[in-house]
Amino acid sequence: MSRNLFLSITKFVQHLEHLFLPNGSPPPALALAGFHQQINDVGSTQNFNLKQLLGNGVLWAVPKHRRTVEKRLNRKFGYPEYVWKPLKVKTHLRTCNQCGHDYEVGVLCPHCYDKVRQETQLMQDKIQEHLGLEPVEQEVIVLYDGEKTAEASDALKGKRIVEMQKQRPMWFTKNLLQKSTQQQSETKEVKPTDLG
Amino acid sequence: MNQADVSKLISQLRIAVRPKARNLKNKDGPEGRLLKLRKTVTALVKHERIELYYNRADEARGYAELLISNAIRHGDRHKATMELADYWLLEKQLVHKLFKVLVPRYENFNVSYTRMYKAPRDYPGMYYKKSVLELRGNPYPALTPDLSQNRNLLHNVLLDEARKEFKREQLAELANKLAAESGTKSTTTTSVTSDMPKEQKTENETPTTV
Repeated sequence: MSRNLFLSITKFVQHLEHLFLPNGSPPPALALAGFHQQINDVGSTQNFNLKQLLGNGVLWAVPKHRRTVEKRLNRKFGYPEYVWKPLKVKTHLRTCNQCGHDYEVGVLCPHCYDKVRQETQLMQDKIQEHLGLEPVEQEVIVLYDGEKTAEASDALKGKRIVEMQKQRPMWFTKNLLQKSTQQQSETKEVKPTDLG
Repeated sequence: MNQADVSKLISQLRIAVRPKARNLKNKDGPEGRLLKLRKTVTALVKHERIELYYNRADEARGYAELLISNAIRHGDRHKATMELADYWLLEKQLVHKLFKVLVPRYENFNVSYTRMYKAPRDYPGMYYKKSVLELRGNPYPALTPDLSQNRNLLHNVLLDEARKEFKREQLAELANKLAAESGTKSTTTTSVTSDMPKEQKTENETPTTV
């Protein structure tokens, strides 16, 4: 009974379809997001075509072959002889014999150079204080505190003396200016011995 | 036979000069590059020690060497040399310095007149290398450690020994003299202090033949 009813209803629906769509019902289509319009157009005129879909360029940009392990590792780490991407060991660093800081081979030690640079800057400023538009005709001699009397007068002859208002730094000693004897201290304090 | 000695027509520099000049980029083109180099040479002659980028220092060094060398060879009565000095030294009071200070200083040198060091950079810091360019014989403290002061170097050990021996001889002489004076009297030991002979730096610079 129920089967007969189902068949008759189906027949009726088919009859209606035949009335409104004389070419038959549309074929079942693949559901692709974003291509509703195109698919409908295709369906209305011709059958669904995989070749046309490929021609649209949707499936082009994919690798065809898997990269080898060697290629993948080279891309990741580089190549030791040409470009090595991970950290490298620096073998050109040494320790300065004078100050103990590290420096690059062939380059001045940063600590020692900084010391010299600051003193040089002070001296240059002092020397240029009196440089005007007059012609520069004399060598410059730089003397620190308490050195003017010690220097022989003929050594200073014909030279421009620039006096620094400070003691000569310990590390910047001229051999000729070194004191040959150490002055005796005036303190009477006795150094304690055998403590503890 | 009347040909001039080609090797003496131009100054022979005591530094290594690159066969091709560096292309020091400047927005004003080659004129800007030359102006920059002239400023550098002027600053070098004025300050005697400057710190700047390696490339420009190396370029300017050759021109400074040539200028000093020509000044020594030709003197201040030579028109071309004076024009060269006028071109390279932007501050004209330094032309006097070139002929009256630098020429007497470097006359007998047989090494280069300038010295160049690589200066340290902050890590990682700027990409460009820095350098220190200086004239020899400047009054500033030396940039490299003076290794001649090391007591353990062989020549210093030998000098020390020679000094000790000299002192010993002097003492022995003095003792003999005292003994001769006192005759048969009892000899008294006297402590004698004699000043050490001062060490003097000798510059091993031989005069050059130009």
